Amino acid sequence: MFRNRREGLALALPAAIFSSLLFLAPVAVLLSEAFRGTGGGFSLQGYVDFFSAPLNRTVFLRTLKLGALVAGSAAVIGYAAAFCIVNLGGRARGTIFGMVVLPLMISPVARTYAWIVILGRTGIVNGAITGLGLSESPLRLLFTETAVYLGLLQLFLPLMIISLVSAMENIPRDVIPAARVLGASWISVFFKVILPLTKEGLVIGGTLVFTGSLTAYITPAILGGSKVLMLETLLYQRVNVSNDFVSASVIAMILIVMSFSANLLLKKIATARS
Amino acid sequence: MSDTYVQLTDLTLTYGQSVAVPELNLGIREGELIALLGPSGCGKTTTMRAIAGLLAPASGRITIDGRDVTRVPANKRGIGLVFQSYALFPHLNAFENVAFGLRLQKLSANEITERTLQGLATVGLTGYDKRKPAEMSGGQQQRLALARSLVMQPKVLLLDEPLSNLDARLRLEMRTELQRVQKETGVTMVFVTHDQAEALALADRIVLMKEGRIEQLGTPADLYARPETAFAAEFMGFENIFRVEGGKVVSDKGTLPLGFATTSPLLAWRPDGVTVGSGPHEGRVVATSFAGAHREYVLESALGPIKADADIALPRVEIGETLTFDLPEATARPLAA
Amino acid sequence: MNTIGRTTANWIILGLTLTFLIGPFLIIILAGASDTEFLAFPPQGLTLRWYAKVFTVESFRASFMLSMGLAIFGTLLALVLGVPAAYALNRYDLPGAETVRTIVAAPIIVPGIIVGLALLRYVVVPLDVTVTMALFMAHTALVLPYAVRVVSSSMHNLRGDMEEAAVLLGCSRFQAFTKVVLPNIRGGVLAAFILGFVTSFNQVPVSLFLSGPGVRTLPIDMLAYMEITFDPSVAALSALLAFMSLAIVFVAERLLGFSRYV
Repeated sequence: MFRNRREGLALALPAAIFSSLLFLAPVAVLLSEAFRGTGGGFSLQGYVDFFSAPLNRTVFLRTLKLGALVAGSAAVIGYAAAFCIVNLGGRARGTIFGMVVLPLMISPVARTYAWIVILGRTGIVNGAITGLGLSESPLRLLFTETAVYLGLLQLFLPLMIISLVSAMENIPRDVIPAARVLGASWISVFFKVILPLTKEGLVIGGTLVFTGSLTAYITPAILGGSKVLMLETLLYQRVNVSNDFVSASVIAMILIVMSFSANLLLKKIATARS
Repeated sequence: MSDTYVQLTDLTLTYGQSVAVPELNLGIREGELIALLGPSGCGKTTTMRAIAGLLAPASGRITIDGRDVTRVPANKRGIGLVFQSYALFPHLNAFENVAFGLRLQKLSANEITERTLQGLATVGLTGYDKRKPAEMSGGQQQRLALARSLVMQPKVLLLDEPLSNLDARLRLEMRTELQRVQKETGVTMVFVTHDQAEALALADRIVLMKEGRIEQLGTPADLYARPETAFAAEFMGFENIFRVEGGKVVSDKGTLPLGFATTSPLLAWRPDGVTVGSGPHEGRVVATSFAGAHREYVLESALGPIKADADIALPRVEIGETLTFDLPEATARPLAA
Repeated sequence: MNTIGRTTANWIILGLTLTFLIGPFLIIILAGASDTEFLAFPPQGLTLRWYAKVFTVESFRASFMLSMGLAIFGTLLALVLGVPAAYALNRYDLPGAETVRTIVAAPIIVPGIIVGLALLRYVVVPLDVTVTMALFMAHTALVLPYAVRVVSSSMHNLRGDMEEAAVLLGCSRFQAFTKVVLPNIRGGVLAAFILGFVTSFNQVPVSLFLSGPGVRTLPIDMLAYMEITFDPSVAALSALLAFMSLAIVFVAERLLGFSRYV
């Protein structure tokens, strides 16, 4: 209807300009900091310095490791849970699915804080351990990688389940019984039928969980503290404690590159599918 | 023409770089029911959208009732359009759908109610005013869309493939309904269709379009009996069209002698214009089917396949057997090259 | 495995998963009710005093109001920017549509902590913008992608010829939008508002660096509070926030089948 492009741009541009000026531009400047040499020219010294510090390398590798571990565990639990949800009928299915989605709507601070109650010195686990006489004094469970791992898994597992449920809903109805009738064991049904048919959902869920874990702040901050730093908490420390903006810029670049490549991967899947 | 009501003059319509309709000239008379007929991509819908004001012409003029409306925006042009999809407002009930345009005119509440109910009555939807479009059948939705346009008392009512979304039975019903409404209201109607049967049955005049140009314009009887081009003839059901060269009928497959003299470069016969069971030519039956009053044959002849209708009284000839046939002068339609 | 065995196994797996996902909230609710000066579970004695205390902590009240304001007004501004953008992306054949889409979606991809830091360093400090203003802009930008996405998907099903019909009935383009498009995407806009509100309200990383004297969002304030105090009030507040989200989602689901927009 006599729509011209100028009119369309006039409607779309305010949003684009807002995001560019208040979001992209400052971030771009921040990212450029690590490439600025002492004389002002282009330099990679910031990156060299960052990765030559052992602590930074440890944090970098730990972040990757925890991200991978959380994504892997989420996949295993996710498949089991998603399969069970898809097997449910009508109402029960909606209710259970709702209960899986619900935590996503709740403040991550609240969600993470629960683990302090569970893992703290006077928490439920330590209460059980000392109560049963397994240990004289309470164990240090907080500020460990395990605590961060549990917190992240609880935070992001719903994303994996949601992705896998929607992938499994698209498996043609009778494929699994057909495979069973043809004599496939449950293990081969999973690897030969379910896995190939839900590969996309797995990749989508995996990417969401992995990047979510990589860029999480609250969980490592509350459950890891300064003992178990991850990239985001390290960034915070570098800025607030040591005013080191070059390191902050390097970390920012690492996070953005990872997050961006994950997103490209997702987009590729989405376009390949349509 | 003195009684021309809508006049399109040298109207050129483009989509981006491509010209959909080049320099179209067309006069539409007041109170007539005119059909824009043609295959998809012939420019009929584009032309309709230009009349409505939904598409700005690249050049040329549109006048309605003597007034140049080329630059008048669609919402001020006073033209109604019944969309192929009906484009009813899903959030409003039938009454509010019909009252929508009246409310914008800031009429009194009484007048709005009266004209809306009147409009619903005109299309036979009295009592449906509280229904939402989603709660109505396809036929009712169509009537509602019609009423919504009619209550605005448009100068011209445009209809985009008005019967295409209806099933066969409803289609017949809506045909008569449209004719009745047109009689009652006297509104000038332009409808777009790709279905020649629909155009023939409904229209006072048919504009046959091809690649953005008018191929032929005339009454249904004109077009049906006297198509002027191969394209028009094909559209009107002349299924046997052949070239004439040196006193012979010629196709890509071969030739047959012609039993009469003609100056036309092309000749066309309807299936029922082909004489079957007698005549100088022979064809092998490759397909046959019963069609009530007659039997349809496809004959493989020297010219390739010939479609021919035989009187049902003639004994049935099986596939593989041969039949004699003739392409007689009486039923031959001469065409321009 | 027989059917009964399988059904049982099914429920055991689901039970364990849900315990892991939802159990912690039940624990928090109870921990917030413990009649002790420190965090304890199982609770020792039950009291509502920590729940009551939450409302008396001055910084919680201030930060709650700030978070509420950011969530409401940030989301509203995001809708003001996002609805026209969604409309343009759906209805116009824009030359740079993909670019616009990418730019608007960027805030989802860029980790929030970086955005907060960048805004602090290159906008707040040099341009002398207030922290509150920066928070407001950051939260708006953060919610914008959700607004565009959710509104787009509800506009996607709306045929363009309805607006043409409205125009032919006498509407201006703007009237066609307000009288025909808007009423039909109302559900989507509302869903976008709720999703945006929740996202903004729960947001931490973006706001991390954007705090100043007396200016802290609620989650940041909670993080600060729990570093110095170990009483169960943070648990109580967490439980209250969980209830608030629960109520919002429940009402939204009842009103408009919210989950199909998420």
